[in-house]
Amino acid sequence: MILFLVLAGFILASGIMVVTVKNIVHAALWLIASFFAVGALYMLMEAEFLGVVQVLVYVGAISILILFAIMLTRDTADRQLYRRWWAALVVAAALFGLLMVPTAASTQWATVPPPAPGAAAVIARAPQIGESFMREYLLPFEVASVLLLVALVGAIVVAFEERGTRRRVLTLAEEVRRKRLQKPAEAPTIVTSEIAGGE
Amino acid sequence: MIDLLRQLLGGIAPDWLVALIAYLIVTTLLLVVAAVMTMVLVWIERRGVARMQDRLGPNRVGPEGSLQLIADSVKLFIKEDIVPAAADKWVHLLAPMVALSSVAFAMAVVPWGRGVVPAEIDTAALFVAAVSAISGVGLMMAGWASHNKFALLGAMRAVAQLVSYEIPGVTALLGAVLLAGTMSLSQIAEQQAGLPIVGASIPGAWDLGLGWYVFTPVGLVGFVIFYICVLAEGERTPFDIPEADSEIVAGYMTEYSGMKFALFFLGQYILNFVLSMVAVILFLGGWQGPGVAQLAAVPGWGAFAAGALSVLYMVGKAVFLVFCMVWIRGTFPRLRVDQLMAFAWKYLLPMALVNLASAALWVAITRWSAEQWSGLLSLDGLAAWQRMLLAFVVTAAINAATYYWVLSVNQRRAEDESLEDLAAEPA
Repeated sequence: MILFLVLAGFILASGIMVVTVKNIVHAALWLIASFFAVGALYMLMEAEFLGVVQVLVYVGAISILILFAIMLTRDTADRQLYRRWWAALVVAAALFGLLMVPTAASTQWATVPPPAPGAAAVIARAPQIGESFMREYLLPFEVASVLLLVALVGAIVVAFEERGTRRRVLTLAEEVRRKRLQKPAEAPTIVTSEIAGGE
Repeated sequence: MIDLLRQLLGGIAPDWLVALIAYLIVTTLLLVVAAVMTMVLVWIERRGVARMQDRLGPNRVGPEGSLQLIADSVKLFIKEDIVPAAADKWVHLLAPMVALSSVAFAMAVVPWGRGVVPAEIDTAALFVAAVSAISGVGLMMAGWASHNKFALLGAMRAVAQLVSYEIPGVTALLGAVLLAGTMSLSQIAEQQAGLPIVGASIPGAWDLGLGWYVFTPVGLVGFVIFYICVLAEGERTPFDIPEADSEIVAGYMTEYSGMKFALFFLGQYILNFVLSMVAVILFLGGWQGPGVAQLAAVPGWGAFAAGALSVLYMVGKAVFLVFCMVWIRGTFPRLRVDQLMAFAWKYLLPMALVNLASAALWVAITRWSAEQWSGLLSLDGLAAWQRMLLAFVVTAAINAATYYWVLSVNQRRAEDESLEDLAAEPA
């Protein structure tokens, strides 16, 4: 319980930091911290598989993508918090309440009953999660997979648009040869290509 | 460990305190062992590479230079800690900690021997993959906070490499998980008992502890792919582009000195060792070896002796893999960035995907009953070794065909591209 409060407090605090800090990279790092703490929260609830996947997907993949995106665009040191932030807060809280209150009121929460004394608690482990993906929830699972595949193909199409101009990083020798062929009169200037094409 | 402490302190301390103390002891022990292992590995690396390059290497401090690293670390301890004026102080400070902590997380779940595992969790294999991805965040932080072009370039390279080699690596890891039918690392090691290829499936056969997955076609391809990915994640030489000193000084470590640099250094060596241990567990039988099962069967001191022998096997195999890393470092030149990426996406990934499919096929052929095949095929009449043989032939054929297919497709593409390049050049 103490651990839960500490973790929940940390998640909330880092969430607030995400939207209030000036530096956008710091915001991304706070976001990673809160992702990680959410993973720890899953672990605390003995949803081990979910916790590990949370770290793998959010901390390991998505946040790295965010960091890459930030660093490849120009550094913006603008303040993220504007003067009328309280108005935004009211609107956001109202919308959230509008969505959450009816949902919370009308949902029958399927809480797990506490296990009978003496019996071990039933915890869904990775095999059970896999089974239910392949049986009960096969359709949503497949739809999500197809969606990801579409995104993948789309990313490749977008990335390959500029293939016409540059195929790969040329070696130094090729670069020199190309220069020589293009400008036979001038002396070849050597241009080393740095990390182009790396990412 | 907890039980032992509970007996000792049962009367005087509450239960949660006992558990806390036990975990603290295990953690301290692990970190000390890791530091000592780093010393051994650095010694192996420096002396090994020196020998391969026909020079002596460090040979003054201690016998055969074995205490060189203590001298080096004392130097690092007392060195001035320099933070660049333009650097982001806090992120600069946190980065090495994040990088090292991801390795420390991974160490917590890797078993060292028969029944010697710091924290047994069901999803250990996935856990290792997940936490080793965190180190990417640490590297990114280091590169960005240093406010240095070389550091940022190095971090970009490191993370791009980490992310792309993670995919074939995890796919290869999944192959072993499929073969074992579990994600717990200690159970994966447990499964690899018995004889080569057939494992423990023949009743009454000797348990030599040699049922390593690397002897099967699926395991062999998986092992090679996983080991290459380990080299890339540990930034070992053919893949040490992120810290290529002739191009970008020291990559993301450029602006680090003293203890912070030491943390990166320590983290990297421990990462190499831990990933080697994972590779050993997944494909080289883990702590299995001739004699472990026989010793364990002896009543009384047998279990302890088997445990000791298994730790010996485990550490021996892992150190051998680290030695192979040194060997590769002494042999191969560094790759170019585009070669690195092409290798991951055009060679390793297709191989790893097909290997995953043939791992599934192996499981289906060797273990499924006619009912699970839903009437398509019935292998119930065959003996265990016959099914193993069938699976061996089928998966070997598939993997060999894929190998030649991947090679020939990429060969043809490379030829096409060079022809196009020639055609694009003005005559």
